[in-house]
Amino acid sequence: MAFNLLVNNLQYSVDVEPETPLLWVLRDSIGLTGTKYGCGIGQCGACTVLIDGVAVRSCQRQAERAIGARITTIEGLSADGTHPVQLAWKEFDVPQCGYCQSGQILAAVALLSKRPKPTDAEIDAQMTNACRCGTYHRIRQAIHRAATLRG
Amino acid sequence: MKTKAEMNDMNRREFLSTSAAVGGAMVLGFWVPPESAQAQAGAAADQAVRPEPWYRDAVVPEINAWLTIGPDDTVTIRISQVDLGTGVMTTNAMIVAEELQCDWSKVRSEYASANRDAIEKAPEWTLKVPGKGAHDPAGGGLPTELANEKGVYRRMGVGSSGNIREGRYYMQLAGAEARERLLLAAANELNVPVSELVAKDSVITHAKSNRKMTYGAIAAKAAQTPLPDPLKIKIKPPDQWKLMGTEQKNRDVPVKVTGAAKYAIDIRLPGMLYAAVKCCPVWGGDVKSYNFDAIKNRPGVHSVVRLPLDPKAKEALGRTTKDGFYSGGVAVIADSWWHAKTALDAMPIEWDRGPGGGVSSATLLQSHLATLHDAGKVIVNEGDVDAAMGHAAKLVEATYTVPYVRRARMEPGNATVLVTDNRVDMWVGDQQPQRSLEKAAMLTGLAKANVHLHLCYLGGGYGSSGNGPQAEHAVFIANAMRGRPVKTLWSREEDWGIGSTYSPLGLFTGKAALDAEGWPIAMDMHYCTTVGVAWPADSRGLAMPPYWVPNYRLHQHIARSHIPAGRVRSTGARHNTFYMESFIDELAHAAGKDPYEYRRELISRNPPENQENRFIGTGVGGFRYRDDWLRALDMVAKMSDWGKPLPEGWARGIAIDDRRRGVGRGTGRQGTICAEVHTVEVTKRGQVILHRVDVVFEQGFSLVNPLTVRKNIEGQIAWGFTDALYQEITIENGQGVEVNFDKYPVSRMREYPKEVNIAFLKTNKWIEGVGEEAIPTITPAIYNAVFKVTGKRIRSVPLKSHDLSWG
Repeated sequence: MAFNLLVNNLQYSVDVEPETPLLWVLRDSIGLTGTKYGCGIGQCGACTVLIDGVAVRSCQRQAERAIGARITTIEGLSADGTHPVQLAWKEFDVPQCGYCQSGQILAAVALLSKRPKPTDAEIDAQMTNACRCGTYHRIRQAIHRAATLRG
Repeated sequence: MKTKAEMNDMNRREFLSTSAAVGGAMVLGFWVPPESAQAQAGAAADQAVRPEPWYRDAVVPEINAWLTIGPDDTVTIRISQVDLGTGVMTTNAMIVAEELQCDWSKVRSEYASANRDAIEKAPEWTLKVPGKGAHDPAGGGLPTELANEKGVYRRMGVGSSGNIREGRYYMQLAGAEARERLLLAAANELNVPVSELVAKDSVITHAKSNRKMTYGAIAAKAAQTPLPDPLKIKIKPPDQWKLMGTEQKNRDVPVKVTGAAKYAIDIRLPGMLYAAVKCCPVWGGDVKSYNFDAIKNRPGVHSVVRLPLDPKAKEALGRTTKDGFYSGGVAVIADSWWHAKTALDAMPIEWDRGPGGGVSSATLLQSHLATLHDAGKVIVNEGDVDAAMGHAAKLVEATYTVPYVRRARMEPGNATVLVTDNRVDMWVGDQQPQRSLEKAAMLTGLAKANVHLHLCYLGGGYGSSGNGPQAEHAVFIANAMRGRPVKTLWSREEDWGIGSTYSPLGLFTGKAALDAEGWPIAMDMHYCTTVGVAWPADSRGLAMPPYWVPNYRLHQHIARSHIPAGRVRSTGARHNTFYMESFIDELAHAAGKDPYEYRRELISRNPPENQENRFIGTGVGGFRYRDDWLRALDMVAKMSDWGKPLPEGWARGIAIDDRRRGVGRGTGRQGTICAEVHTVEVTKRGQVILHRVDVVFEQGFSLVNPLTVRKNIEGQIAWGFTDALYQEITIENGQGVEVNFDKYPVSRMREYPKEVNIAFLKTNKWIEGVGEEAIPTITPAIYNAVFKVTGKRIRSVPLKSHDLSWG
C-alpha cells in the first residue's frame, strides 16, 4: 500500500505494509540511515526520532500511525550540523562509537523543547537512551551547554 | 539492474560511483580537489574523515602507504584500524602528522585497505622497533607482538588496548620517512644541502636564501625520491612532540552528530537484497528441519540459504571453518530486512539442540566447582605455603564467582557483501579485517588478493573477537547469491544469543594465613575458567600480585563448556582483579586495618629490585613498578578525601591494578596502573547509588591524545558500573537467556555519577594501553564500599542478585 510520510519537511511516497515499523521505512525505503536499529523492542533508544516534536522510538511505531505527522530524523535537524544541540555535542566531543548518538541528540532536542533549562534531575528522568560507550558524562554537560546556546 | 556478467565487468571505481548514486549519501573514496579556498574551508569540517579505503590517483601523490599529499597541501592519512569509538581516526593521524610536521588543519583521515595489506609487504624500515623498548622515550613497541603481521599496514586488528603500544612507533616512522623524503626532494629542487632546510606546518624553508616551498608543491617529486638509508630514521621522544600529547577533539564527531557517518548497517547498494538469520541457539546445535514453502509467498521473500554446522564445531570452539559454522542455521532473503525478518520469524524451524542442549547455569557451576577438587596446575609456588599455614594466627577463606557476560555492542552484527565469480566486495565494521578477509577467501574459494574489505564505522566493539561470524555469515550467504549484493543483519536476539562469544564463567577460592598483626604470611589460591579460542586461561593479576606475601601458591583449573569463550573488554582482569582486590579488602578487615593503608604497606614490602616479574623465572625478587603503584594509591586517596566523614549510608571503596600479565602469552608487558575510589550510597532498602568516582590513571611518558583517553575512562566508568550491578547471562537448555536490553540492562544517564575526577600519573615507561584499563578495579571498589555500609561481603557478580538492605 502506498502512502505519504512527511519527513524533514519533505513528502515521501512509500509503498510498504502499513504496519511496518517506521524505523525500517526511514532506513530502507527512504534511505535515511542516521536513525539506527538497536533492539527492536523500544528499549535502547537508538531509533529515536521526533514525531510532532516528541521523542518516539521508531521501531515501535507503525508507519501508518505516522501519516500526517511531522517526522524529524537526525538528517533533518539542521542542514549543516549547526543545531544548538549538535554544536554543543561537538564542543564537548561527546560521541565515541557514535551509534546511539542520533537518538541521544533527538532525545535531548525533545527534552529542551519542554524544559529549556533542564536540571540534572530532569536530564536523568528524560534521557533514557542507552549508550554502551558510556558518554553520559559529556551528554549531560552538552545538554546544559545547548540550553545556553538556545538563549 | 545490471546483469551478472555486466556486474562482473564493472571495475571498482565504476562500482562505487554507481552505489553512490543509488545510496545517495555514500561518501566516495576518490579525492576531489576543492574548487576554491572557501570551498576548502567549508569542506574541511565535513571531510576531515573519509570512511572509504585506499585508492591511487595520479593527481595526488602517495609518499608512502600511510599518506598522500594533494597539491593544496591536503594530507590524507590512512588509518589501519577500525574506529569503534576509541578515536583512532584522530589519534593515529596525530602520530603520523607529528613526524610529518604538516599543517594539522589540512589533515584528513581515511581507512587503510585490508586488501592492500594482504598483497603488499611492509617496508623493512617499519619492521624495526626503534630505541630500547618500553622504557625508552625514543622507542617503544614490543617486536614480538607483531612478528606475524608483516602486511604493509602491520596491525589492522583492534584488541588488547594495543593500538598505541604496538603501532605508535611505525606510525611515527611513516610520518618521519615521508618528511625526510619531502626534505630531500626539496633540497634537490633548491640545490641546497638538506641540512639547511626546515620543515614546519607543510612548508619547507631555506632560511639562507629566504626561499619556501609547500609540501603540495614538492609532493610529486618526493614520491619519486627514495631515502638512501631509511633504516636510519629516528622517531621523536615526547619532549619533542608538538601535536602528540595535546588534547585534540575527535575528527569524526562532526559526521557522528548529523547521521552522516556510515556504519556497515547503513551501506546501500543497487539491487541489494537483505538476509535475516536464525541459528540454533545452542552452540554445536543445528537445524533439524524448516519449511520455506510456508513463507515463500509472503511479500518480498526471495529465497532461503542454509548455514551448515561444522561437524567438528565442538572442537572448533567458536571458529568458522570451511566446513561450516559453530551453530547451524538458516537465512531468509528478501527485498527488505523487515520482510526477511518477519518471514523468518513465521517460518517453522525445528532444532537439533546438540550435545550442549542440557546444560544450564547450575550444571556449569557444578562442573566448574568440581575442577577445584583436584590440584589443578600449580603455576606459582613460592616459599612453603603449607608450613606457613600452620603458623597462622588467623585464617581467612573465601570463594568468588563471576558470571558469563557479553560485549553488548549497540550495532547488531551485519555486513554487506557482493560476490562475483572473480571478486568479493564486503562492507563491514570489523575489529579483525585481516581475519575476515581470509575467511571470505576461504568461504568463496577466491584468492585473498581478490577480496576487497571496505571498513566502515563500527557501533561498538569491546572485545577483539567481538565480531563473531557476522562477516562470515554474510559472505556465505552472498556467495550463494553471486552477482547480487546482500546485506546480512542479525536481529538483536541473534547477535546476543548465538552471534557473540561470551566472557566465561569464573571461580576463585582463596585461603590466607595472617600473622598476629594481621599481615599475610601465606596465600593459597585456586582459580577456574573455561578454555576457548583466544582465551589463554588468563592468570594476570593473580600470578604476579602487587602485594608482598612471602609464601604464595596459585593453582589453575580449566573447565570445559560448549559455550565458546571469548574476550570481553578488560578480559581476564574482569575476573582476577575482582578476586584479588576483594580478597585483599577482606584481609584488611580481618586485620582490623584501613584498606588503603593495608594495601600501601603490602606494596611497600616488595623489595625494589629492578625486576619486571616477581615470580616468573626469577625467584622472589622485586617489583619494578612498586613506587609508581604507591604514588597512584596515595594520589587517589588524597583526591577522594579518603578517611573524611560521609553521610550515613555512604562509603568509599578502593581498588588498584595494572592489568599486568600472568604466566604465558604476553608476559612482560608493562601494564597501566589504575587506582580508583568509588563513593557509594546504599539505601536502607538496598539500592546502590554511585555518587562520585576518583581515578588515577597512569600515562607513562605521555599519552598521545589525553582528551580521547579521558573520554574513554569516563565511558569505562559506565561500563564497569553496569558490569558490577546488572550483567549476567544465565544458561538454560544450553542457550543464553538474556538476549535483549529488557533482560540485560545497560546503565543509563540516571545511574552515571555526578562527580568524576580523573588524574593522570606520569611515569617512566610506555604504558600498556587505555581502552579497558579503568574497568577491572570498578567492581571490587564498589563492592568494597557496599561492604563498609552494609557489612555484607558480596562474592558473586552482579549486585542485582543480592539483598543489600541494611539497618
